[in-house]
Amino acid sequence: MNEMKKTVITLNVNNETYELVAYPNRTLLEVLRDDLHLTGTKESCGEGVCGSCTVLVDGTPVRSCLTLAVAVQGKEITTIEGLRVGEKLHPVQEAFVNHHAIQCGFCSPGMILTSYALLKEDPRPTEAAIRRALSGNICRCTGYAKIVEAVKSLAEEGK
Amino acid sequence: MRLPPFQYLEPTNVEEALSMIAVHKEAVKIMAGGTDLLNRMKLRLIKPTFVMNIGKLRNMDGIDSGDTETVIGANTRLKDIAGAPLINKKFRAIAEAASRVASPTITNMATVGGNILQNTRCMYYDQSRMVLNGLERCHKRGGTVCLAVKGSQRCFSVYQGDMAPVLTAFDARCILERKGSTRTVSIRELFTNNGVTPFAIGADELLTKIIIPKPEGIYGSAYRKLRLRGSVDYPLASAAAFVSVTNNRKVTTCRVVIGASGAAPKVIDVASCETDLEEIAQKAYECAEGVDNLQMPGAYRRKMVSVLTKRAIKAAINGIKEGM
Amino acid sequence: MEKFAYIGKDMKRIDTTCKATGEAVFSADLTLPRMLVGKVLRSPHAHARIVAINPAKAEKLYGVKAVVTAKDTCGDKWGVFKYTQDQQFLPTEKVRYVGEEVAAVAAVDEDSALEALSLIEVTYEVLPAVYTIEDALAPGAPQLHDVYPNNINVHIVIDVGDVEKGFTDSYLVREDTFTAPEDSYFQGEPYAVTAQFDHAGNLEIWMPNAGPHLKAKPLSNVLKIPLNKVRVRKITIGGSFGGRSEISPADVICAFLAKKAQRPVKIVYSREENTVCTRQAHSMITKIKTGVDKEGRVVARDITCHMDGGAYSSTGPIATSVPFLCMEQAYRMENVRYNGYRVLTNKPIRGMFRTHGRGFACGVDIQLDRIGETMGIDPLTMRLRNARQTGDTTPTKSYVASCGLTETIEKTGKMSRWAEKFGKLPPYHGIGIGCNSVQTGFPMGIRGGSQAFIKLNEDGGVTVITGIVDNGQGNDHMIVQIAAEELGLTPDDVQLITADTEVTPSDPGSYSMCETFVGGNAVRLAAQDVKKKLFKIAATELGVGEEELSARNRKIFVTNNPQQTMSIAKAVRIALSRNESISGEGSYWPNVDGKREWVKNPFGQLSETFSFGTVICEVKVDPETGQVEVLTVTASQDVGYALNPKVIEGQFEGGVAMGGQGGMLTEYLQWHEGRVLTPTQLGYLVPLAIDMPKINTIIVETIDPNGPYGAKEAGMSVAMSAAQAYCGAISNAVGVYFHEYPITPDKILKAIEEKKKRAG
Repeated sequence: MNEMKKTVITLNVNNETYELVAYPNRTLLEVLRDDLHLTGTKESCGEGVCGSCTVLVDGTPVRSCLTLAVAVQGKEITTIEGLRVGEKLHPVQEAFVNHHAIQCGFCSPGMILTSYALLKEDPRPTEAAIRRALSGNICRCTGYAKIVEAVKSLAEEGK
Repeated sequence: MRLPPFQYLEPTNVEEALSMIAVHKEAVKIMAGGTDLLNRMKLRLIKPTFVMNIGKLRNMDGIDSGDTETVIGANTRLKDIAGAPLINKKFRAIAEAASRVASPTITNMATVGGNILQNTRCMYYDQSRMVLNGLERCHKRGGTVCLAVKGSQRCFSVYQGDMAPVLTAFDARCILERKGSTRTVSIRELFTNNGVTPFAIGADELLTKIIIPKPEGIYGSAYRKLRLRGSVDYPLASAAAFVSVTNNRKVTTCRVVIGASGAAPKVIDVASCETDLEEIAQKAYECAEGVDNLQMPGAYRRKMVSVLTKRAIKAAINGIKEGM
Repeated sequence: MEKFAYIGKDMKRIDTTCKATGEAVFSADLTLPRMLVGKVLRSPHAHARIVAINPAKAEKLYGVKAVVTAKDTCGDKWGVFKYTQDQQFLPTEKVRYVGEEVAAVAAVDEDSALEALSLIEVTYEVLPAVYTIEDALAPGAPQLHDVYPNNINVHIVIDVGDVEKGFTDSYLVREDTFTAPEDSYFQGEPYAVTAQFDHAGNLEIWMPNAGPHLKAKPLSNVLKIPLNKVRVRKITIGGSFGGRSEISPADVICAFLAKKAQRPVKIVYSREENTVCTRQAHSMITKIKTGVDKEGRVVARDITCHMDGGAYSSTGPIATSVPFLCMEQAYRMENVRYNGYRVLTNKPIRGMFRTHGRGFACGVDIQLDRIGETMGIDPLTMRLRNARQTGDTTPTKSYVASCGLTETIEKTGKMSRWAEKFGKLPPYHGIGIGCNSVQTGFPMGIRGGSQAFIKLNEDGGVTVITGIVDNGQGNDHMIVQIAAEELGLTPDDVQLITADTEVTPSDPGSYSMCETFVGGNAVRLAAQDVKKKLFKIAATELGVGEEELSARNRKIFVTNNPQQTMSIAKAVRIALSRNESISGEGSYWPNVDGKREWVKNPFGQLSETFSFGTVICEVKVDPETGQVEVLTVTASQDVGYALNPKVIEGQFEGGVAMGGQGGMLTEYLQWHEGRVLTPTQLGYLVPLAIDMPKINTIIVETIDPNGPYGAKEAGMSVAMSAAQAYCGAISNAVGVYFHEYPITPDKILKAIEEKKKRAG
């Protein structure tokens, strides 16, 4: 690619270290999906609006489609695949499934990670706070009603 | 969406960054949060040779409160500004603006410097090749026509940043550094009011800090933004107000800055502080530019600028009353 | 013992756990060995003759393994109907919209593929284009296709009774026009296709679809290989909403690339490509003239609707008919005339969208509100007086076997406290109502029926094999619920093979909302077939008559003496030990009039059954900005029977968001001539969590005589009634009736200002 040089980058994803060779113009989203085959993180807009590409970097939700892979070396990256512990679902995942907060499932990984990060920061959010925190995650199927119910159920339990 | 090829620069300190842009100048585009630059690159509106990541520069983020001024590092994340107790208490409009930029996750990534220096926008410019191929080149793309306003000799792209209007309302100053020298300018001087080249910053300069002078006396501030949804969207119209009063509740300063009203935030000169709200709103309306190049018609957006002006001033005054 | 173990219960869906963990595989997630990246070259012109295409430079680029142009195809034209065959997947003569496919490449990586596209040289002779219905119909307008004179793609004519006499006899007659620009699907998942050929020339292909069997046949035709060599595979699908029913050029192009390169190829659309290059919804201009009697009952109605169909037919005849048909199902009218025109323009192709014409639907209901206002009849009463009833026959002769519309109106009215609120709310506070109806399964010729097989294992577990497809709405789970219930097994015992054309028998897909009714019935019948065989064995073993038996929890038992029992597994092994293979088969074809044809003969039983819904919406308007705050929405639908109430609520809630919140407040495509200026979620505003109001849901059950357990379509009529209710509520709040949609704040502000001026 003209003058672009591939470099070795080291990424810490879901507590595992990956060493790979990448061009600087690769986004974190592309590397996760194409190189690491962690396809749970999705692209639905490519411009940071829809939230489907949301991952956690050092616990903070970011848009992986607007993040250069080369720029997040040394950070702890968490994708949806990193949420469950062994065979057991994380309580946020469990709540989404139990409350019918998932229909087609395309927005779900981003929605779940954003909810997870919200509850870590604020274990008992109000409905307004939940809707605000999820306002950058677009769902075309559910109308958000049961997604909010799922997160609320965790808020009440203080999980 | 694929980014175009580029070479990646990651300076570890400001000096290194300044050396790099001194050498490469226009060939470098600076990436802070990445939420503005990378989008424009994906659309192929710009294809820089170098992308310089300043996100890791130390001494460029944080909020430092002093006796006479508060200094905000240009790399400070909008979320941190929105949540900072000091900003909420002393500079409420700034917190309001920061919390309303885009959506919560974007504010985790976006920086105040990046938000100030975002490019102007227009529905006929911020498009992919699929739309632009086959259209004449507009002024902003280096051409000679305006696609939004037929026959226009100049660009009508709109500055939609949320932070600059509120910082202007607080009379903020900006520190611009280049290799070997530093200059400090009023934030107003950053803007050229020209949609094609919106900023008066050298290709070898870096915005490092924003200084907010301590306001005098008793004051209040507010930011009001219009968008069709409660999140994600850029402002279609906005107004920032700063009002200060004496102990006897006499207004000493009333500073209104409107946004999404042209290629730069505009300060509404209030003839005197006795001016009534309707007159100020009318003045805002007259200053505001609004053509049909964003989501809502220009005529509507101009009207909203005047409505938001009134609301921002009222909210600023309420803020004062609450504090009293 | 409860009547049902699983049917009617709020069960968690079987397919959502893997979606919560990110393991569910969508089309763009697939990786196959040595897979290539496919990219499509698109026309930059809205209308142009293709003079020459020279792919030589692209072919020579390092990393490029295949380039396809029209030369690689037979140039056959495809269409949903024989009489709408007008689309080549790679055009040979001309391009008709900005974004139309012209050529494609497959390369080792994305950067090479993009570079290769830029090296394909295409010479165009630009032709004059038309972008609006008016321009397309104007005399002397450039013609898109020789076969459609005056750019009229479809003209549906329906004339029942005596409309003119009806108007003469009416107490009051109104005529209004309603307009709405295009809306757009914006499914969560952008389109993607992965294809590969094996050593024997069998095609395996994955893409989001609303019916794999509907994709397989056109692929078979275009590639000139028999159906049994075309395997459209099961894949998780990220929403459809009507926009993924037919074959897409991407499907054909991907297959051609895979064939030429002899390697798997994956094409992933950008969001922009999904918006522009798959399907959009029609923009419409609807003129409605309605005459009512002294009670406000409709006596006659005359509707002319012009729809902008874009550059090709797609499902033209259906799309042009459905808005009218939904209305004639929902409301009684003896005399009705409809002229539906689908007009071609040099814009992207339009298909059928869940709301099926917000302009049309809102127009019908707003007009009822206006008529009611003149006569002193409130909107809810107007709906009650005109509502369809069970046992009616629609003007185009469909018998309505079950109809709970009146019940939905009454219950929604009660829950939303309509009577307390209408006409009594503070200024700029409004309440509105909408009613609609949707078909459940319409004639689809030889593909209208569904067949299911059930395979049994010796340990009593089963695999259900059916062509039913799940777009995210929960159809896979529905199959498990029905099979487990009928067979007396637990959901864990039921495995699925679905929507895979190599294995599963033909099924109409989720086209015409029929998966529950047609597909579900087939599964139920297949399960009953198995049960009958197992009961025969058990009856002998237990020494009772077959009719005395029941099955639940993996056991067959005597209904009145549950101690007398044997396991299902044992019954299966008994059969096998007798050298008797044991399996089940069931098929269902909806009882529709096979002679009914959209254009030539739009009369006869359209669907076996219909769903009916009502939505009431309450809003507050900010008179200074025109912005709308939606306070509450109450959504109700007659779904026949709720197989899984929580799943159905989810459909209602999603329908309110799409049809009401988005469809009425913010969603529309903006254009510069033939170019979409709002192709992504930044410009096209779908609702966000922070904007949605509280949604109350009311499920009404009329127990359809033919649906599985009485179930019929669920969710789609809510999307339409929500649009109508939002429109009515905003109109009520402002005191001005809105005829142009969506009702954005600038329109509201303008209406408020003009109203003030008129008041003086």
